[in-house]
Amino acid sequence: MLGEFEYVLITTAAGLGENAYGVAIRDEIEAAIQRKCSMGALYTTIDRLEAKGLRKTWVGEATPQRGGRGKRMVRVTPQGVRAAKAFYESVLRISRGATWVESRMGGNA
Amino acid sequence: MNASAWPLLELSTRLLDPEEREVVLGDLLETQATTWRGLLDVFGLVLRRQAGLWRDPRPWVAAFVVALPSSYLLMAASFSVTCTYQRLVNHRVFVGHWPTGHEGFPLLLCHMLLLVAWSWTAGYMIGSVSRRTLWASVVLAAVPSLDSLCTPVSGLCLFLFLPPAILGIWRGWQGSRLSFRAASVLALTVTVLMISAWTRDALWTANWALLCPAWYLVVGARRARPNGGDGIWPMRHARVL
Repeated sequence: MLGEFEYVLITTAAGLGENAYGVAIRDEIEAAIQRKCSMGALYTTIDRLEAKGLRKTWVGEATPQRGGRGKRMVRVTPQGVRAAKAFYESVLRISRGATWVESRMGGNA
Repeated sequence: MNASAWPLLELSTRLLDPEEREVVLGDLLETQATTWRGLLDVFGLVLRRQAGLWRDPRPWVAAFVVALPSSYLLMAASFSVTCTYQRLVNHRVFVGHWPTGHEGFPLLLCHMLLLVAWSWTAGYMIGSVSRRTLWASVVLAAVPSLDSLCTPVSGLCLFLFLPPAILGIWRGWQGSRLSFRAASVLALTVTVLMISAWTRDALWTANWALLCPAWYLVVGARRARPNGGDGIWPMRHARVL
């Protein structure tokens, strides 16, 4: 079972697709959760996910904007997609009956 | 980012692996992080990386099982060698200090050889078992030297073990390995010298612990041979940590 931040990372990287790398993932996460995301949390979680086989990373192209230094590119593996899906479904299941979910469903309907 | 603070950030990233350092510096440039945020990010990452390393038993073994006790024993051995030398040169000196049996120059030579071998092998083991947490082992090895500040003897004579120990740490840290034959000859020589000193009542019981690193080298060299297996637990991962 994924941790909360692991799920956030996998989902963000999957959403970014080919453009998923350290800074882009961090910006997306900070915009989505409205909190600062430290570089330490980001890269150690990426390493943990890689060790679990849920994503692959490699050093990508160097750009002048980065002083000629490479990016750490990230790609979610099929196993990572399955793990994220399982996490999402379990959140949905456990949320059934919660007042905030019911009121939201009612509002949408 | 303040341009004058960039060298400071670059320096702080030296605590990271070279590949990760490049990525992190690129990230900092791209995000144009403030100096403060950049430093927080880098040190946060370094701390997390170090914390991750300490989840493994090897750094604990290197620091608390090898470095700290060996340092105490080697300091005592250094002092003992100095005393033996002084007594041989001038019989009135150190009369009441730690008799080491039937002293003579052969025994002094035996002690000196043992001191060098113990120091080198212990240093090698510390350097090879956990390379990325070497700083912790070195700090713990320096703890006994604080005790020495309270002793009336000259500080230098307590640290005769330092040069061979530093050489051993360096070799171990580089990941270089002894051949099985060389490691066996070294371990056997140390064992014979220790037995010789022991039979002449010139060795402390605790000193036998210093024999372990020499035999650790033998086991590591044996397992590292092409048909010798996967390598023993710490040696197999010596390059990783």
